[in-house]
Amino acid sequence: MTSRGDDAAAGTTRSGPHKVLLAFYALFTLAAGARAIVQLTTQYDEAPVAYWLSLAAAVTYALGWYAIRQASVGHTGFASVMLWIELAGVLTVGTLSIAVDRWFPDASVWSDYGIGYGFVPAVLPIAGLLWLRKQKQTARADL
Amino acid sequence: MPSVSTQVTWIVVGYALLVFVLALVTALRKQQRPAWLDQMAWMLELLLVVRALVGLGPLLGDDHPDSTSTYVGYLVASVCVLPIAMKSVQGDRATWSSAVIAVASLAIAVVAVRLEMTS
Repeated sequence: MTSRGDDAAAGTTRSGPHKVLLAFYALFTLAAGARAIVQLTTQYDEAPVAYWLSLAAAVTYALGWYAIRQASVGHTGFASVMLWIELAGVLTVGTLSIAVDRWFPDASVWSDYGIGYGFVPAVLPIAGLLWLRKQKQTARADL
Repeated sequence: MPSVSTQVTWIVVGYALLVFVLALVTALRKQQRPAWLDQMAWMLELLLVVRALVGLGPLLGDDHPDSTSTYVGYLVASVCVLPIAMKSVQGDRATWSSAVIAVASLAIAVVAVRLEMTS
């Protein structure tokens, strides 16, 4: 059993489920970011609201990636805010895309709660929050 | 007869799914990540490089893909994902590192299918 200091020194090389979360967040930063940039630059007039929301999703994933990395070495503060923001974002955009469909002539990343990505966007923040809860318990136990 | 790039793409999809299943099984059995899984992942990367080189053809010729920027994005992403994933689990052979490879190879299969749809 390593002490907490060793884990912090080892940084992100410490193994655990957060490695998988980080992989997902990196992938979605790339996927949502590339998609938003391509759509904003090549077909802006088709669905500007949807494309800007895709870019917002990409930024959320980038911040989420950083937040989880920080949480994995014991600094859980940012992640407890960021993951809730992400969950709120998915739920808000998902609901809006169904309720106000004239804002979404084309799909956004979080349209229909992320249906275009197999609903992974809806599952990710929940998985992240569950992991974070465990992570906080571990951090407390180590103190 | 499907084009060479289509054939290579389906080989990539099949092989990526194979790597995905093996990585997932390794992770679910809570084993350490075996060396052969790394070798299979790098074989997949080699295939992706071949796919990307073949994929450059349509960009140079007259038969352009529907959306060039999307197509190039998928080509670049398909080559970059695996090295980044392997880097993130470097020196970590614990169970969860296999799950990272599972996620990466599944993403590659999806990207390859999307690439085929845009070309």
